[in-house]
Amino acid sequence: MTVNNMADPRRPNKIFRYKPPNTETNPTLEDPTPDYMNLLGMIFSMCGLMLKLKWCAWIAVYCSFISFKSLKCNASGLLSISAVVMSYLQNPQPMSPPW
Amino acid sequence: MCVGFQELRFTLLVYTINIRVSLGRYNDDFDDGEDIAEFDDNDFAEFEDVSEDPAVDVEKEPPPRAAPSSTPIEDEEDEATVENEDGQDEFEDADAQDQDMYSKYDNEEFEGHEKTNPSFKDTLIYREVPAHLQNSWESYYMEILMVTGLLAYIMNYIIGKNKNSRLAQAWFNSHRELLESNFALVGDDGTSKEATSTGKLNQENEHIYNLWCSGRVCCEGMLIQLKFLKRQDLLNVLARMMRPVCDQVQVKVTLNDEDMDTFVFAVGSRKAMARLQKEMQDLSEFCGDKPKSGAKYGIPESLSILSEMGEVTDGVMDSKMVHYLTSHADKIESIHFSDQFSGPKVMQEEGQPLKLPETKKTLLFTFNVPGMGNTSPKDMDSLLPLMNMVIYSIDKLKKLRLNREGKQKADRNRARVEENFLKQTHAQRQEAAQTRREEKKRAEKERIMNEEDPDRQRRLEEAAQRREQKKLEKKQMKMKQIKVKAM
Repeated sequence: MTVNNMADPRRPNKIFRYKPPNTETNPTLEDPTPDYMNLLGMIFSMCGLMLKLKWCAWIAVYCSFISFKSLKCNASGLLSISAVVMSYLQNPQPMSPPW
Repeated sequence: MCVGFQELRFTLLVYTINIRVSLGRYNDDFDDGEDIAEFDDNDFAEFEDVSEDPAVDVEKEPPPRAAPSSTPIEDEEDEATVENEDGQDEFEDADAQDQDMYSKYDNEEFEGHEKTNPSFKDTLIYREVPAHLQNSWESYYMEILMVTGLLAYIMNYIIGKNKNSRLAQAWFNSHRELLESNFALVGDDGTSKEATSTGKLNQENEHIYNLWCSGRVCCEGMLIQLKFLKRQDLLNVLARMMRPVCDQVQVKVTLNDEDMDTFVFAVGSRKAMARLQKEMQDLSEFCGDKPKSGAKYGIPESLSILSEMGEVTDGVMDSKMVHYLTSHADKIESIHFSDQFSGPKVMQEEGQPLKLPETKKTLLFTFNVPGMGNTSPKDMDSLLPLMNMVIYSIDKLKKLRLNREGKQKADRNRARVEENFLKQTHAQRQEAAQTRREEKKRAEKERIMNEEDPDRQRRLEEAAQRREQKKLEKKQMKMKQIKVKAM
């Protein structure tokens, strides 16, 4: 006894518009990973620039890549790339592994 | 004599040039700076006070290429011989003399060299050229590794995004007909002025796709969320190798008041039920008992039931529903029917009086896509019967009505929950009321103070005083009444 077979269940007069769910009421549903990655990227790129550590700059590039895809935030991406470039301009020697 | 001296000088110049050219090939172990400093305009100065150790090193080892790096000692020797011989001969014999140097070497010829340290037994120290000056890419292997890693990440992003997109499209293609035959509006992003079907999924991000359907009897609207795995994130892909997870399809149907009676019910996998009972506001309040095994109602053991009352379970679990649940038990994560749905429990902030959360009559279905992460677009077809189940549930609940007893019980439950809530927040609400009253008083006082006209000021003050008096009297009356009642 399904209504579908008998009559058209569609009701054009009962249409409700889509309301995007308010994310403020459900902060737990948002994934915080991209925000952390963004922040981490900023910190590592500053470290890489100030302390002239190449590996810091590379990690910053990775972090900004991960967060870039989610947030489309270019600032940390550009900062990390500039950190890498500056490290190599100042010290063109290749990076030595920690072992 | 004069001519001989000139020739001698010329010869020495030649030898000097020779030395300089040959030493120039070994930049690293020949400290040019030091030697240049020693040289002054006098050509002979370069042969004075020259460090003897390298000279000794070179002498004792006769490698052929050490021959060109002739030392000043050689020159001393030549200097000694030049005086005796004709200067011109020196030119022709220059090379020959270099090579014969070692054969002519006489230990006694030089002073102060006896105590030569055994350092000349060591081999020549070849300093390493700094890596960035070498012309080899091998020294940059760490950088190459890093860049390769980045490229791998980008590749994975593209591949993952495309896969998710294909899965979403496959799902929509298989479900399109069913949805279009049931809903007047299929696909809406909420931005367009008119309510027309977009007819396509709404991509929220690389792994979540939404679809809003509306315009049907028995419901307000239906939001379908395709929650795929984060295939575009390499870190996530690696994490999933440790812990496999499924793609999920979540269907949320919002109902009008008349579309559903008042009850709370849930069925799903045991793990999911345990989790939901703790997390969900309504399930924790209305379904206090532990989840019951589904075997009692003819559904597989793996599923368990949370219900407000037995009558509800009996009403929901009709034969068709049982058939759906049995045949697709592996794909069902949870099914939640509730008239008091308000989402997960919200963490209360301290000092904030919590109003009773807004509730909405909702049906919430969560399905697992088969494949455990390794899903192919074909698997999406297997979810179609589940969508049929959703439509069936919507229609069924419209007709499902509790009997009188059940209704009374349900009403009692809701009243109980509300009372509990009010009690819990009583203290907070009192505080809030107190602060509000104080605010009002303060505002009034300020108004009186700001009043410029002294007459009006006096009048307002008097009015405020009278109001205070009245309040006090009322309170006293109440206290008296309570006392009388107590007696």
